[in-house]
Amino acid sequence: MATQFQNSTSENPEGLKTEEMILNMGPQHPSTHGVLRLVLSLDGETVTHCTPVIGYLHRGIEKILENRPYMGGIRYMDNADYLSPMLNETAYAGAVEQLMGIEPPRRAQYIRLITNEMQRIASHLVAVGTYMLDLGAFTPILYAFRDREGLLEMFEEIGGSRFNVNYMRVGGVLHDIPVGWLQRLETWLDNFDKSWQELNTLITGNEIFMKRTQGVGYIDPEQAIAYGMTGPIARASGVRYDLRVNKPYGAYHDIKTEMVVREDGDAFGRYMVRLYEMRESVRLIRTAMAQLPGGPICTRTPIALRPPRGETYFAVESSKGELGIYLISDGSEYPWRAKIRGPSFVNLQIVPELMRGHKMGDVVAILGSIDLVLGEVDR
Amino acid sequence: MDLTRNLSPLPPAPIAPAVTPPAVLSNMPALEAAIGQSIPVRLVAGNVPSLDIAPAHLVAASMFLRDQLGFSLLSCVSGADMGDHLQVVYHVRNLETNWLLQLSVAVPTATNEVESVMGVWPTANWLERETYDMYGIIFTGHPDLRRILLDDEFEGFPLLKSFRPTPLTRHDPATTQVSPQQAVAGAQQRGLGPQRAIPNILSQGESERLHPGTPTFGSTQFHGREFPPQTWKHLQGPPPAENEQKPR
Repeated sequence: MATQFQNSTSENPEGLKTEEMILNMGPQHPSTHGVLRLVLSLDGETVTHCTPVIGYLHRGIEKILENRPYMGGIRYMDNADYLSPMLNETAYAGAVEQLMGIEPPRRAQYIRLITNEMQRIASHLVAVGTYMLDLGAFTPILYAFRDREGLLEMFEEIGGSRFNVNYMRVGGVLHDIPVGWLQRLETWLDNFDKSWQELNTLITGNEIFMKRTQGVGYIDPEQAIAYGMTGPIARASGVRYDLRVNKPYGAYHDIKTEMVVREDGDAFGRYMVRLYEMRESVRLIRTAMAQLPGGPICTRTPIALRPPRGETYFAVESSKGELGIYLISDGSEYPWRAKIRGPSFVNLQIVPELMRGHKMGDVVAILGSIDLVLGEVDR
Repeated sequence: MDLTRNLSPLPPAPIAPAVTPPAVLSNMPALEAAIGQSIPVRLVAGNVPSLDIAPAHLVAASMFLRDQLGFSLLSCVSGADMGDHLQVVYHVRNLETNWLLQLSVAVPTATNEVESVMGVWPTANWLERETYDMYGIIFTGHPDLRRILLDDEFEGFPLLKSFRPTPLTRHDPATTQVSPQQAVAGAQQRGLGPQRAIPNILSQGESERLHPGTPTFGSTQFHGREFPPQTWKHLQGPPPAENEQKPR
């Protein structure tokens, strides 16, 4: 057998011939975090080209928004990025407010900040936990989901639902903070300080994790900006861009955010940015709780919202990046056009660039570090 | 009690700082000199300047904005159906000065084409593909302009105002069957021609509905009649063909 093999290669002057192989990864694959299909061209173990195929979860949310009143569209924003519905709702409600020239009461803006930062922690916990699961470490996701459960329970108390909260309203929020909620949140934050340390010591510095993520999927800052990267991906590459700092909205005018920026540009840097952003969110929540003003939680708005004719673009810093809403109003109760600029959709564009030249085993390590939510990619 | 905790008087001033004219407007003369034409500027809600740029000057203006004024990040590309024409809206950002600028380009109705800005901002790749997918606007110079969210075989552009989510069918109450020939095609939805002003009459009428077995976007005709119908009543108006049972 061995001699045969040697003979067959020796007859060929170029030696062993290999040919490119096409591998379909997904749409049903646990590491794609949803229904994403990657068509990988492989030269041996090396990825030569990667083509993402998306649209399996397309529900036409933008078309649905055009056929719902402004207040009714908030609920559909939950389904765009289903891991951070509070942030999506804030973006949509904020866009309508900007179009109508409404300023929500101060207390509502602080409650928005608190819930948004809670949602950011929850989203980052899922990102970190599932990333470790992709890399083969099973324990961190248990810790992450244990902590996230406390946040979801508090969302249920304040909004009535764990996931699709439907909590934001144009002009404020739906419910005031329930009795004892802030104390429970404080208890959760105190517990989370320990849990964060636990996650940090468990993951950061782990030899297998470092070898699988350091230097994998590098983006330099110019490339990140050219490809429209925002959020933790851009900040891990050294781009100082965070809408809470660069273009503050709501209570972020009062409570200053410290941007978490790293220069790594690789998968490890993106993980570290998410990890330390959780800590920053905890600090923001504590500050907002200490300064929480009283007063009404929602301005009085007409039952049928009819913004004046015009257009607006409003963006918030979602857990994945810049979440922008572009609204055109024709003066009626229904938006003429509602465009969702989903950060996951734009961030997915750079995946082919990142994969090129990496080994097959790094595909999951790169994809997980992007933190995609396919509900937002496909909308 | 939480509700009364830390009750502080409401501050007189709103949280957001006072609105001032965007500083980016001081650079508009340089931009107008670069492309050799005056640009209408208007402020949209949120104090964002919006420039109405002719399609011919889009790439030149984009290059100037990126290279000279530092608008390095293309945030968003949106299409919009404005009724009589389509438009493409770009939102660009300067990360140093935190300027946000909106560029509006009215798509020429005759050609339905706009030049791609992918050479200026590579992130326009998927954003323009999505706009093409939803509106059918063709971006010339785009290397890979095909559908991205919808299926390749999908007919029609769903975010056009003329788009019908379900085709018209005539439901035969006697048999509860709809023959494939009676399913209205998506053929009328492909183009941007005179069919764009189709009245939305779908949700009314008992005799019109989509049978579950009907192919959603077939290639058959609308009862052999002209499209669009004048009023929805005419669906019952003309006498049916001889071998066709008149619906009740």
